Amino acid sequence: MPWTSLLVIVPFVAAIALAFVPRGNRAAGRTIGIAGALLTLVVSIVIVAMFNRGQGSMQLVDHVNWVQSIGLSWDLGVDGISIWLVLMTTVLFSLGMFAAAQRLPQRGNMFLSLLLLSEVGLLGLFTAGDLVLFYVFWEFMLIPFAFLIWTWGGDERRRAGITFVVYTMVGSLIMLVAIISTAMIARDHIGHLSFLISDLHGVPFSSTASTLLFAGFVLAFAIKLPLWPFHGWLPMAYSQAPIVVTALMAALMSKAGVYGLLRVGVPLFPEGANNLLIPIAILALIGIVYGSLLAWRAPTMRLLVGYSSLAHLGFIVLGIMVFDRMAAQGAVLQMINHGVVVAAAFTIVMIIGRGGGTEDMDKLGGLAKGAPRLAVAFLIVAMASLALPGANSFVGEFFILGGVFNQYTWMAVIAMLGVIYAAVYMLRMYQSTMNGPVKGVSDEGRACEMRRGDALILVPLILIMFFIALWPKALVGATQASTDRAIAPAQVAADRPAAQIVPSGVITGSRP
Amino acid sequence: MNYIVGTPLYIMSAVTLLAILTGAFHLKGAARRLPEWIGIGGIVATLAVVTGLWGDSQYGFAGEIHMSRLGILFTWIILVSALAVIALSWGEPAGAGRRPEYIGLILAAATGMMLTVTAGDLIVLFIGIELLSVSLYILCAIEVVRERSLESGLKYLITGAIGTALLIYGFALLYGMTGTTSIEAIGTTLAHAGPLTSQPLLIGSMALIAAALGFKASAVPFHMWTPDVYEGAPTPVTAFMSTGTKTAALGAFLIVFTGAAQGMVSDWRVLIGAIATASMVVGNIGALMQNSVKRMLAWSSIAQAGYLLIGVAVGTQYGARAVAYYLIAYVTMTLAAFAIVILREREVENGDQLVSFTGYGRRRPWAGVVMTLAMLSLAGFPPLAGFIGKFMLFQAAIDGDMLWIAIVGALASVVSVVYYLRVSIVMWSPAPAGEFDGGRRLRIPAPVAAVAVIGGVGIVLLAVLAQPVIDLCQGAAQSLIP
Repeated sequence: MPWTSLLVIVPFVAAIALAFVPRGNRAAGRTIGIAGALLTLVVSIVIVAMFNRGQGSMQLVDHVNWVQSIGLSWDLGVDGISIWLVLMTTVLFSLGMFAAAQRLPQRGNMFLSLLLLSEVGLLGLFTAGDLVLFYVFWEFMLIPFAFLIWTWGGDERRRAGITFVVYTMVGSLIMLVAIISTAMIARDHIGHLSFLISDLHGVPFSSTASTLLFAGFVLAFAIKLPLWPFHGWLPMAYSQAPIVVTALMAALMSKAGVYGLLRVGVPLFPEGANNLLIPIAILALIGIVYGSLLAWRAPTMRLLVGYSSLAHLGFIVLGIMVFDRMAAQGAVLQMINHGVVVAAAFTIVMIIGRGGGTEDMDKLGGLAKGAPRLAVAFLIVAMASLALPGANSFVGEFFILGGVFNQYTWMAVIAMLGVIYAAVYMLRMYQSTMNGPVKGVSDEGRACEMRRGDALILVPLILIMFFIALWPKALVGATQASTDRAIAPAQVAADRPAAQIVPSGVITGSRP
Repeated sequence: MNYIVGTPLYIMSAVTLLAILTGAFHLKGAARRLPEWIGIGGIVATLAVVTGLWGDSQYGFAGEIHMSRLGILFTWIILVSALAVIALSWGEPAGAGRRPEYIGLILAAATGMMLTVTAGDLIVLFIGIELLSVSLYILCAIEVVRERSLESGLKYLITGAIGTALLIYGFALLYGMTGTTSIEAIGTTLAHAGPLTSQPLLIGSMALIAAALGFKASAVPFHMWTPDVYEGAPTPVTAFMSTGTKTAALGAFLIVFTGAAQGMVSDWRVLIGAIATASMVVGNIGALMQNSVKRMLAWSSIAQAGYLLIGVAVGTQYGARAVAYYLIAYVTMTLAAFAIVILREREVENGDQLVSFTGYGRRRPWAGVVMTLAMLSLAGFPPLAGFIGKFMLFQAAIDGDMLWIAIVGALASVVSVVYYLRVSIVMWSPAPAGEFDGGRRLRIPAPVAAVAVIGGVGIVLLAVLAQPVIDLCQGAAQSLIP
C-alpha cells in the first residue's frame, strides 16, 4: 500500500466528497468531515507503526515520475523529523474537525471541506521529497486557509486575507525561483535535472550561490513562521480568522517554515546557512523579546497567544540555526510541544470567548468561580506554555538553551528573557480572566465552563502534553538520526570540533 | 512544388467563403445555424488534415508555406480557440442579424492566424497578420448599434494600422539587409552577419518588427489600445483576440526572433527582455484597479504577454518549448474565464462588472469552480496548468542565464494574485439581498457551458498529464531550433 500517498489522498477525497453534499444536509457533511479526518489519522498511525526509528533518511517513499522532461516527480516519504509532524497534523485536524463540527458556521460543509484541503497541503508538505512538490503543497495550503479567512472571518476578513496571501506569495515565488536555480546549478554536478532533495544532498554549491539560494528559501520560511520582521500578516490573520483556523495556523502552518528550514534550507545549503547564521539568529532573538513584549501588552487572549507563538518560534529557529545536536534536537521536540500547547491554548480561548462573548481580557474576570474545570485545564496549559520544569515544553526549551549555550553564550542569555516573559504573560492571561472579582459574565461565568464536547478536544491534548513530559525519549529516539543528518553538513561548514559532529554513518542513513 | 501542404489553408479559406455566402439566402428555422455548422465542420476537417501533416518540416509552394511542428501545434491552438469562440457566440445577441459575416470573419481571422504561424516567407507572414487584423477590426465593430463596439473597432483599426506600418517597414529593412524574403534564407544570412551593433539598419529592422508584433501581442509599450478594445468588442470576439491573436503574434515572435535571428540572440534578448519586463509590471499593476472583469482580463492579457515573452527573450529551445506550453495553458484558462463572463453577461445588464459576480458561485457552483480554477491558474497556483507553464518559463530563463527576468516575473506574479483572487472571493461571498433575483433566469446555452467546463477540466488535466503535452511542445521547439 502506498501509505504515504494515502496520507494526502484520503483527506483530498473527503474534501471533494464534501463539496458534493447538498447544502442543507449538515449531518452528512459532519460525518464525512470527521470520518475523513479520522481515517487520515489512522493512516498516519499505520505509518508511525511501520516507521524504522534508527534510519535517518526518508522511508516509506512513494515515487512516481510526474513530468519527467522538466524534472518533476511525485515523491512522498517520511523521516524522523516529519513523522511526528505528520502525526501531530492528523491529530490536531481530527480535534479541529470535532471543534468545527460542534459549532458549524453557515455553509458548514464548505468550511469542513476547506479544512480538509488545508490538511492535504500540510501533510503533503511534511512528506514531500521533491522540491517542486514541496512548493506545490506550500502553495496548496495557502488557498484553503485564505478562503477560510475570507468567508468565515471577522469584520476585516478581506484585508486580513489579502495581507496574508500577498506576504506569503512574495516569499514563496522567490522560493520558486530559488528552487529552479538550485536544480539548474546542481544539474552539472548530478548529470541530469532533478528536484529530489535526496539527489541534491551534498551538491557542492559555491559560497555565494549557497548563500543566495539559502536566502531565497529562508525568506519564504521566515514569512510563514513568521520570523521578526516578517510577521506583518500575523495579527490581522490570527485575529480575523475563525478560531479553529487560527489554532491550526498557529499550531501547524507555522511549523511549515521551521520544517522547511530543517528539511531544505540547512541540509542543502550548509555553507550559506553558516554565512547567515548570525543575522538569522539575531532576528530570532529579536522575535523572542519582541513577541514576548507584545504578548504581555496584548489586549485580547487570541493576540496574546498569537504573539507568544512568535516568541516560541524564535526559540525553535534559534535551536536549528546554531547547528548544535542538542539544540536541534530540542527544536524538533519543541515544534511538537508548541503545536500541542498552542492548540490547547486556542481551544481555551475559544471556550471562554464562546461563553463570555468576548476575548478581551479587560472585560473578563473571576471565571474560575463558575468554571473550575476550565480553570484547571487552563492552568495546566499555561504551565506547559511557560515551560515549567516537569512540563513538556521544559524539556524542549532546556535542550535548546543548553545547545545554544554551548555555542554562543550571549544568545542563550538573551533567549532566557523569553522564558521569563513567558511566565509573565501567561500568568497575566490566567489571572486576569480566571481570578479576581467576577466580571463581564452573568451567573459567575458558568457559561464558560468546559462542556463535554470541549473536553473531547482538551483532554487528549493535555494527555499528549503529559505523555511528552514524562517520556520525551519516545519522540527524541525517532528523530535523533534524521536531525543529526540534517545539521551535520552545516556543522562541518561551521568548523565545529569533530567531537560534536555526527558520525558519518548516520549521514548515509545506514545503521552504525 | 508541394501544394498538398497548403490543404489546411485551402479548407479554411473555402469554408470562410461558404459561411459568408450563406448570407445570400434567407435561411429559416434550424437552417439559420448553417454558418455555424459550416464553420465547425471546416475547423474539424482542418484539424484532422493538419494532424495528418505532423512530422518533419515540409515546405509548400516555393517555400512560402512552412508546415513545421511548431506551425502545426500553433495551428491546433488557433483552431481550437476558433471552435471555442463559435461555441461562445452560440445565440449571442451580438451581430444577430449578421451571422454569416460574423462566423465568416472569425474563420477568416483564424485563417490569417494560421497563415502567420506557418509562414515561410516574410510576405506570407505579413499577409497572415493583415488578414487576421482586418477581420478583427470588423468583428470588434460588428455590433454597429452599440457605440462602445464601434469605438472599439475604430481604436483597434487606428492603432493596428500603425502596427502594420511598422511591420512592413521592418520587413523592408530586413529585406534590404539580406536580399531575400524567405525566412529560412534570412536565418542563414543572419547567422553569418556578425554583431548587430555594427549594423544599425538591422537593429532598426529588429526593433520595428518587435514593436509591430508587440502591438498584436499587446505587449507594453504597445498595449494602449488593449483595455478599451477588449472592453468594447463583443465578448466572444474579445476572447478570440486574447487567445488566437496572442498565439499568432507569439508564433511570429518565435519564427522571426528565436528562429531566423537565432544567430544574434545576444543582441536582441535585451530588447525583448525589456518589453517582457515592462509588460509584466504595467499589465499587472493596471489590472489591479479594474472594476470590469473584461477590462481586468485585458490588462491581465498584457501581463501574460510579458510572461510569454520571457520564453522568446531567452531565445533557446527551452524557451520556445515553454512558450508553446504556456500558450496552450493560457488559451485554456482564458477561454474558461471568458465563458463564465459571457454566461453572466447573458443574464444581467453590465454582466462584465465585478459587482455583478457577487455570490455567483453560490448560485451556480460549477461556474464558480471553473472561474476559481481559471483565476488560480492564471495567477500561477500549483498544481494547475498555469503553474507548470510559469515553472517552465522561469526554468528556461534561469537556464538561459536570465535569472533577473525570472525574479521580475515572480514578483509581478505576486501582484497578480491580488486581482485574480479578488474575482474568486467575490464569486463566493454572499450575494446582496434581492438584487440577485433580478437577473434574468436564462437557460444556460449549452455550448457556452461546455466551453467553461472543458476549460476547467483542461486546466487540471494539462498539469496532471503535462508530460505528453510537453513532448509535443518539445517537438515544436526542435523544429524551430534544431
